Amino acid sequence: MAKPTITTLAMCVALLFGAAACGPSLVIQNVDYAQPIESVLTPDSNNDVHDQRYAIKFNISNLLEEEGSSSANEIRLIRNSAGYYFVTAADFNNVYVFETDEGELKLKNKIEITANGLGQPAFNQRDGFIELVDLASGNTYNLNHEGRN
Amino acid sequence: MKKSIQQTLSIFAALLFVISSTAVAQQSDYQIQQDFRADYSELVNRVDNAVSSDDLQGLNADIDALEADYSEYSSIINAALYPETFSQRIEDLRNRYTASEQNITVIEELNERIRGLMDELDGFRNQLSDLDEEQANLKEQLDRSSANERRQAALIRQYRENLETRDQFVTEFLENLMTKYQSMDAATQSEIADAAERMEDNPVEVLKTIIAEYTNTANQSSDLAAGDYLAMRAQHGYFADVWDRIGDRLTNTFTPDSPVQERQEVSDMLAAWQASIDNKLWNSLSTAFNQNGIELGSFTSASTFFDALGIYVRESSQQAVESNSEEDYEVYRNFANFWNSTVKGQWGELMIQGNVLSTSEMAEIDVELGTWGENAPATSNLMFILFLVSLAVIIGLVVLLVTKKN
Repeated sequence: MAKPTITTLAMCVALLFGAAACGPSLVIQNVDYAQPIESVLTPDSNNDVHDQRYAIKFNISNLLEEEGSSSANEIRLIRNSAGYYFVTAADFNNVYVFETDEGELKLKNKIEITANGLGQPAFNQRDGFIELVDLASGNTYNLNHEGRN
Repeated sequence: MKKSIQQTLSIFAALLFVISSTAVAQQSDYQIQQDFRADYSELVNRVDNAVSSDDLQGLNADIDALEADYSEYSSIINAALYPETFSQRIEDLRNRYTASEQNITVIEELNERIRGLMDELDGFRNQLSDLDEEQANLKEQLDRSSANERRQAALIRQYRENLETRDQFVTEFLENLMTKYQSMDAATQSEIADAAERMEDNPVEVLKTIIAEYTNTANQSSDLAAGDYLAMRAQHGYFADVWDRIGDRLTNTFTPDSPVQERQEVSDMLAAWQASIDNKLWNSLSTAFNQNGIELGSFTSASTFFDALGIYVRESSQQAVESNSEEDYEVYRNFANFWNSTVKGQWGELMIQGNVLSTSEMAEIDVELGTWGENAPATSNLMFILFLVSLAVIIGLVVLLVTKKN
């Protein structure tokens, strides 16, 4: 009685492993997502921004709400080598770091930069980090998806 | 003291390094590539819109400066311009500059030609205007001096000389036009057409003015003889010939928007000019023949004139055969003299140029005139009389001899 049960169990386990082996297992390592130059995007009337060059489109209403702002003339967007998106705009106090998911940008980190709002922010892609420059104040901040360096 | 200076210098150098590092750090890559795009576009516009060597002055140095200013950011710019590159853009700019420089050289050469052409046209217009003024003045004097025949004859001679000068002057202008445009290729034609758009006046307009003035002269002329109208007709024939040869090129070059319309307009004007001449020419020719005792049938065109001549010669020749009188011979001599000395001698070339009579038509009349000449002299009876007298003398002598012998 016990022998057929063990046999059946063993077969089930073998099938499970087999099924797992047939599933997606290919992984490409060391992908560089770095966007060499930031994108400066102008929101439309629905607060949608569209980066045609790097093929990404999203709505910034939630972002504005988070910043307590009703509108932004332009938003600055850059992606680091790890694939995280960094978003900010003039008068924002923070830089928002997003990771991608299926049809989503999920907030990974909200990096506080200043309490008075950024004057003229600009992102630069640098070796190993994202450089945020406030051209108005002359301040520079080195960032990664974890926060400020 | 020396140490203190060294310390101060070190601090100053450190400060300078910090300041410069801050300055470098405060740049926006996005702004750099935007600035490059703006500077590049400005230079492209300057190169593309340059129309003179003055416009190009300093541009080459500015391209060098653009390259020097942004070469350290070439990797940023390459990323922004992908799939183009910074060096491709600079090369493209230099190629545009070279092309523009070549175009400007061509444009400036063309401008020089156009300026020369305009000067020529101005000079031509002025001289033509002087001749017109002189002609109008002479015409006025002619109209007023009808009472004084001697003075009138002198004025007519002067008026005729003025017409001849004008013909000669226009002919030189047309020869000049032909030399320039008869063998012009399509590319040059098109280049001149572009440059000619800036001209206030052009050769087609000048030709139209000349034709209008000629028509006016033909309409207003009076007191002129057949030879003068034949000269006008010859000038018309030459003008029409030149227009046939270079009209297409001139209209395509100087009126590229409506060449067919312009050609038609000039052709219509030429027809009107010929009609004005013909209005007076046939009457004056008929008068000239009549004044020399030659009554031709009526004629109102070149072909009917030739027919009238042919009919006159053939009928006169027939008459000579039939009547064989001294009178007929005199008619022949009169016609032959007028035909050879005046028609062929004085007017022959003008008639051929003006398409009044062709050389073959003249030759045909000559042949018929030859036949008339053979028939015209009255046949003499003297030989017959002498023969009869001789016969009578011989018979008389024979009779005398026979009588003496008997």
